[in-house]
Amino acid sequence: MNGFPAAVERYIERVLRERASPLMLSFDRNWVMLEALGDAARFGIDTAAGSPDVELLRDLFLGLPPGEAHDFPFVSLPGGGTSHVHGVPDGELFHVLLLDASEEFARLRSQQQLGHEAELVSQEKSKALARLRQIRGELENQRSRLEEANALKNALIATLSHEFRTPLTSIFGYVHLLERRISTDISALQALRALRRNATYLFALAENLLEYGRGESGATLLNPSAVDLPALAADLEAMFRPLAEDKGLAFALELDLAAVPNALFDEIKLRQILINLLSNALRYTLRGEVRARLAWENARLVIEVRDTGIGIPPDYRERVFTPFNRGAQHGSKGAGLGLSIVKRLVEQMHGEIHLSSELGVGSTFRIALPALGQATANPIAREFADIPGATERWLKGGRAVVLDDDPDVSGLLALLLSDLGFEVEVVADVAQTVERVRADPPQVLLVDVELPGLSGNAAVYQLRSQGYAGRIVTLSATATEDARNAALAAGADFYMTKPINLEQLVRVLQRATVP
Amino acid sequence: MTALARKICMLGDFGVGKTSLVERFLRSTFDEKYKTTVGVKVDSKEVVLDPEGSLKLVVWDIAGKSALDALNQQYLRGASGLLLVADGTREATLRSALGLLMQARELLPDPKSVLLLNKLDLVERWEVAPGTLSELRRSLPVFETSARTGDGVEAAFAELARRLMA
Repeated sequence: MNGFPAAVERYIERVLRERASPLMLSFDRNWVMLEALGDAARFGIDTAAGSPDVELLRDLFLGLPPGEAHDFPFVSLPGGGTSHVHGVPDGELFHVLLLDASEEFARLRSQQQLGHEAELVSQEKSKALARLRQIRGELENQRSRLEEANALKNALIATLSHEFRTPLTSIFGYVHLLERRISTDISALQALRALRRNATYLFALAENLLEYGRGESGATLLNPSAVDLPALAADLEAMFRPLAEDKGLAFALELDLAAVPNALFDEIKLRQILINLLSNALRYTLRGEVRARLAWENARLVIEVRDTGIGIPPDYRERVFTPFNRGAQHGSKGAGLGLSIVKRLVEQMHGEIHLSSELGVGSTFRIALPALGQATANPIAREFADIPGATERWLKGGRAVVLDDDPDVSGLLALLLSDLGFEVEVVADVAQTVERVRADPPQVLLVDVELPGLSGNAAVYQLRSQGYAGRIVTLSATATEDARNAALAAGADFYMTKPINLEQLVRVLQRATVP
Repeated sequence: MTALARKICMLGDFGVGKTSLVERFLRSTFDEKYKTTVGVKVDSKEVVLDPEGSLKLVVWDIAGKSALDALNQQYLRGASGLLLVADGTREATLRSALGLLMQARELLPDPKSVLLLNKLDLVERWEVAPGTLSELRRSLPVFETSARTGDGVEAAFAELARRLMA
């Protein structure tokens, strides 16, 4: 006995009962409910025999030894109430006793919510700080000039560029396939050539915008590949000669590439430089000529574009390399982006650019680019052109799965892979890909990153974690180091950006299928 | 008490998505807002497996902790199966989940266990390498899940149910 007076005992009992509002359900040894006593509504429980609430209360004691008392604090049930649940054995009976814990629960939850949120924020903060420390060194020499409007503009331009790249992938790809299949119909080939030229021009414009949108600090990928320089020159000739003839200008594009080794360059950026320089030269030359020259000199690719145009006064020579500045070139049209982008691209490729100009006489741009690497074999494009059936010998017999939600792109890839001798399966979402690859592992998996729902990287991660050992080529419209690193970290072997350079893809597939 | 019912417990550190996974499994819903769990939430759902038949899972969604305390040990009693949950974006939670599994195995006789690595929708931010999961798969079933999109959730619960019926 604790010695409390009877009045106090009664008081304690009354207060505790009021606060706990006990609810008791009694069961026989076969778990048939016999009776329910107390305010069930307060717990949001339906005590009718056989109700789901009663079943769940019985199920709380699943797996527990009968005949023992049990105590489960803070049990939340679907009805919404939270209670301390006790199991009380009583001879042949078993009572389930619920004591209201809602007030205590609300207080605890409020405290715990704050604590956990603070902890999660702290963890995120730690991660962010670590990341900041990591990149601070990389950013030390760069001035941050991005403001909100700039960021929005960049996002818009990046999105637009992405939107351009996906359809251009289809256009380039199908043109390429058609060119390979149509070899006798000259007018059809000319039409395809025109399609390619204009798509290239559109692509260059989009890339100019993207390049400008990236800003000085934007990380871009260099994409070294063996460039068919004569073919590139032929493309440029076909693109610009009609423009020159329209203006009554002489036009020449000379090649002095006899001694070029198997050097690698970024073909897209190279093409972008030439298109920008030639566009500018033709735009600002009213009479006379525009001459371009591609040469291999002192282990460098030299690009020279010379015109007899209006010339650039000395005061403006630096300014022509800044965006939206057309300098003294009055009456001109265009965004004024071309030369700033040329300069940036040249610097990205570790090259040099030099401008000499005389007012009223003309201008000469001279660029020297070192190779980005050395090819180990002849350019694939030439091998395809010269050796019919060679691809089939290299690759025949493989199986490939393509994950891309754009039917045009997946159709193109399927066609290309079929041409290369692969048996191809096209799938459109991550779950289906994981299932199909697990069921029948292909030699090669081509994965698009940007998909509705989970990204293609999720599929790659899941497959790698499940032991898939085939080659994975990730294709994405995002040309940044972060995107590339994310894809490789997920488990991809190769990362390629759109529009896909088909010769490069073929080379990658060739590497992927070498045992 | 029905013979075809089993108690299973969700175990894992806080904030890994245990309650969200249960909500996704039971009601096909997802709430972006993080709501901490105090004590335990109990609910049930019958799963139908082919050819095994049906099994009622009584799901104990236990408040997140990195180690089992006395209260969690009380909640674990009688459990036949465990769903260990970790957050792919926080590698430390994977270590917690494996620690919880080891502790639980000392309390329960041969619990069937499945590991869920949640937040697959944030895979670009994952800290857990694919190779780590390959290793883990040698000792227990592992599912990459997303309570947000639902990917992998049904399959993980079904796998545990299948093992409980075996």
